[in-house]
Amino acid sequence: MIRRPIQKKWRLLLGVLSVMILLLLYTLVSYVQHLRNPQDSTIPAWSQLKDGVHKIIEINPRSDERWIVVDSKATAYRLFLGLFYGIAGAVILGLMMGCFSVFESLLAPPLSLLAKIPPTAALAVFFVMVGTDTNMFVAMITFGILPTLAQSVYLSVKEVHEEMLFKAYTLGASQTELVWNIIFQQIAPKIIDAVRLQIGPAMVYLIAAEMVVGDVGFGYRIRLQSRLLNMNVVYPYLTLLAAFGFAMDYLLRVIQRAGFAWYVNEK
Amino acid sequence: MNVEIVLECRGISHWFGSNRVLFDINLKIIRGEIVSLVGPSGCGKSTLLRAIIGTHPPCKGEVIMTSSVSGDARTVDGPGRDRGIVYQNYSLFPFLTARENVAIGLMLDQTSLAFRMFHFFKWRNLRKEHLVQADALLETLKLGKALHLYPHEMSGGMRQRVAIAQALIMKPEILLLDEPFGALDEATREELQKMLLTLYSENCAAKGRGEPPPYTIFIVTHELNEAIYVGDRIVALSQYWNWKEAGLKTSPGATIVYDKMAPVYLPEQARDFETFLSQRHKIRQTAFEPDQPVDRNENIQFWDEIKAGMGHGVLQ
Repeated sequence: MIRRPIQKKWRLLLGVLSVMILLLLYTLVSYVQHLRNPQDSTIPAWSQLKDGVHKIIEINPRSDERWIVVDSKATAYRLFLGLFYGIAGAVILGLMMGCFSVFESLLAPPLSLLAKIPPTAALAVFFVMVGTDTNMFVAMITFGILPTLAQSVYLSVKEVHEEMLFKAYTLGASQTELVWNIIFQQIAPKIIDAVRLQIGPAMVYLIAAEMVVGDVGFGYRIRLQSRLLNMNVVYPYLTLLAAFGFAMDYLLRVIQRAGFAWYVNEK
Repeated sequence: MNVEIVLECRGISHWFGSNRVLFDINLKIIRGEIVSLVGPSGCGKSTLLRAIIGTHPPCKGEVIMTSSVSGDARTVDGPGRDRGIVYQNYSLFPFLTARENVAIGLMLDQTSLAFRMFHFFKWRNLRKEHLVQADALLETLKLGKALHLYPHEMSGGMRQRVAIAQALIMKPEILLLDEPFGALDEATREELQKMLLTLYSENCAAKGRGEPPPYTIFIVTHELNEAIYVGDRIVALSQYWNWKEAGLKTSPGATIVYDKMAPVYLPEQARDFETFLSQRHKIRQTAFEPDQPVDRNENIQFWDEIKAGMGHGVLQ
């Protein structure tokens, strides 16, 4: 029957099973490929993957550094800085647009236009404007996620019922208190939802930029190693990216549940 | 009798472009009254209420509030803490528990954002006092069990009770209720009506002691029985009056066509809707009949009744 719930242990078992099947299929495909060409590196066997992982975590003789450390450092720094500016800017712009009609009519049209430009396509613009160092990656992420994020903040401010605002005025709220104590408190969990949806795009923009102009970082390494057909390095990197995205998403959900129980339970 | 006016609407007219909504509304509300406002849908009850709250000032005329502390009269120029409001929905803040919802008024009114940030420890002590006050008020309204519940965890009746507490803790000069029980089932509705009557009986007791009555309530409702049962005065707004005879070519909007006393009930008194029949019939005839426009002054008898000493309760 549609939507009939199943036991928890079955749900767990089926989840594990699907991952197992995926791994098994990979092993099979890789095995067949190696029967045809024992030197193949496009679909590496498990032993090749192990070599790849070693290459990643051990000190590289040429650069005297561990790839995993330098790449993670660079990429994480760029990502978090970009996310920080993007979120901060989006919250401020969104609140201003949602609260004051002047900013609404001033900012809504350009934002909805900018939101339609794929930031990866505008890479050259950032390149010209801010150069090729960290700033460029940060700008890429910031301006990549800002328009969409600002729009969702703006829409959730608009969703706050006006009667609730009138109510707050009759309780003696000032303009600033209304924005901070009523509106912001109410939209904060929705901002977290919106940020969760923007983690993926932020990573896409960063990796794309690193692939084009980076000299260190996940995108740079993946591009370089795929050119050399070292897929045994590429696959672990992809797994790391997935794990990172998953962890971020999970962390945001934990924050939301801990800080805004009323919102999570209301849904 | 010597009356003290809390709120006065003086010559209020309102229109949206060519759509005339309110015409020459004059209304004086006595301290301690529960005034019920009824009227056919679309007659501008909400527009009048918004003018009183001050969020949407009327195109013409003014609302004047008199302070019970200083006795000063002042024209309303925006929403303020002297007029509490309870809406049908959206009165409570979803991110606060019941006690926080009640205490937030004290916080917003007595402290500023800067004070809360820079005098953190002072604020923390004050906050405790606020919550104690909120708890006490909720206890008296029989909400002791709901203190820590969020609005989405409460029943509709509980929510409206908390919303009333949230407004009352500010000790407003007048409490405005906008269709407050419209979404509730009949039994809950009756409970909340009794709660308003309990407030009214406190008014009568205060009056008996020679003190000013603490609660003045203006309730907008579409339910005539509720209006008669809860209110000690009924005001009906209607667009169906004989404006043609007043020499006007197009409808100037709704005005007050009915203003009379209503029977006073005590909360424990049994209510009998049968006895409301004649008054209900009269209101229906006066305000709700599009085909029989009435003279707008014919049923404005409240102040004559006061002069004749016909009032009960706080109007005695």
